Amino acid sequence: MAAATAPARNPNPRGPSRGTGTSKLDSFAGNVGKSFLYIAATAGGMGVLLGQIIARLFPPRIDKTELWRNLYKMSVKSLPIVAVTALFTGAIMVIQAAPIVKRYGAEGLLGWGAGFGTLREIAPLLTALMISGRVGANNTAELGTMVVTEQVDALRTLAIDPISFLILPRFIGITLTLFMMTLYADILALFGAAFTGEALLTVSPQSFYNGLVGGLLGFGDVANGLCKSFVFGLVIALSSCHFGLSTTGGAPGVGRSVTATVVASAAGVFIIDYLVSFILG
Amino acid sequence: MTAPSQEHPTSDPSHAELAAAGESSALVRPIAGLGATALDFLRAGLELYSVFVRTLYYVFRGRRERGALVKQMYEIGNRSVFFVSITMGFIGMILVYQSGLQLRRVIPDFTMLGATYIELLVRDLGPSIASLILTTRVGAGIAAEIGSMVVTEQVDALRMCAADPIDFLVVPRFLAGLVMTAALIVWASTVAYFTGALTAYFAYDLSFQTFFNTSLVDTGDVVTGVTKCIVYGAAIPVVSGYCGLSTFGGSEGVGWATTRAVVNSSLAIIVLDFFISGAGFLIF
Repeated sequence: MAAATAPARNPNPRGPSRGTGTSKLDSFAGNVGKSFLYIAATAGGMGVLLGQIIARLFPPRIDKTELWRNLYKMSVKSLPIVAVTALFTGAIMVIQAAPIVKRYGAEGLLGWGAGFGTLREIAPLLTALMISGRVGANNTAELGTMVVTEQVDALRTLAIDPISFLILPRFIGITLTLFMMTLYADILALFGAAFTGEALLTVSPQSFYNGLVGGLLGFGDVANGLCKSFVFGLVIALSSCHFGLSTTGGAPGVGRSVTATVVASAAGVFIIDYLVSFILG
Repeated sequence: MTAPSQEHPTSDPSHAELAAAGESSALVRPIAGLGATALDFLRAGLELYSVFVRTLYYVFRGRRERGALVKQMYEIGNRSVFFVSITMGFIGMILVYQSGLQLRRVIPDFTMLGATYIELLVRDLGPSIASLILTTRVGAGIAAEIGSMVVTEQVDALRMCAADPIDFLVVPRFLAGLVMTAALIVWASTVAYFTGALTAYFAYDLSFQTFFNTSLVDTGDVVTGVTKCIVYGAAIPVVSGYCGLSTFGGSEGVGWATTRAVVNSSLAIIVLDFFISGAGFLIF
């Protein structure tokens, strides 16, 4: 019963092609080629979409009400989940640093140690993962549903440009949302870290704060994290809009696009993180 | 609903209008909203708990569908290897590079970099980050599949055949998740360790002999890490399966279910990580 539903669903080029009569090597090479073509098509599609978006940014032609509506829906509604994530993240950073702090008796460095990891790496990364799961996936589902119910075609028929009416507000919305949420998560994560430090290691919040601002950690570190979050926002916005617009195959296609978005955003965020870290480092 | 406002007519029309709307004044509304949210949370928590308990029950008592487990293991495990290896490889490089930068500001001595890195990797970063990556693929896949079965009424058909959807749909994914998450975490951590070693070699001229130093890893670290592997492996399929089963509202609902699956399982992983790490630190 369960098995009957799954197979027809997925015309994924990377699926196993057993029993087609080809040899093992042939099918392997075929799969590699297919996934290469799929990745190339995706990257190319995103590039074209980025070009179209940039073309509409100079001079800006944005639907203001749509932008505000999206910003509210994306940012304000994500606040609780980002808050919980950030508080726990800060706490986890301190717990992980705790054995090292105890081993060397470096209580004064706890604020610096936890702050460095949180501000530069973990807060932007985890916030990006959360926002890509919540906002990016939702955006794809919405756009995909509009595509498969032909609402986007209807917009075109009315001579309304779908890129500037639908895509541009969402693109700006996601990028701004991630940037603001990272700032917010930075602050909350440090709060969480300070309280855990007091509860677990009896390091007072005062000495945590001193370690944080004691010269080893500068504005550059905060800026580094925020710079990353801006790039992550671009990646998430681009992939969610691309997969939403290229949805095919009715209702199941929407689910498939959402999965593709989440996977592509996560992979993109990690790879871009590496590149940006090296460039800024 | 309109009766009270007719009995107590007020001079202020806006107040009368609000009262007539039935729902309440500006003071009551936020409190009502809070209460509704709390009730929703409670209801969702109870339902999630019930899915978990029933999954455990059917693991021991259920009827097995032949081949379902192997198929799910292939879906969850083999198809994720490439994705997890790539992302964790990059994560390993970033982590070593960043901790090198951090170390350079205090003591320019990199000899303990590898030892600290493997300790952190075993205890926390390997299981947590790898399963956060896995959720995006596995959790979304599970929720989308079960969700589309719900909206096309295939799950109702299962119930009509006197087959519990938990037994047929969630249990194979649960068992496959338990086994394959642990396997993937071990593999992904290995990848991250080796890419980290390469980064240390090229960025900080740290030899492999110095980097491959496991003297800091003790029993507590291994136990904490293994516990995390098992707990996350159980949490991802249960949370995503619950999100898939509670899908409503047609094709748009499937998109929503997928979103909720990814967000809720990531949140579950972070919260569980906090508790397991805390317990591990206090015990060992």
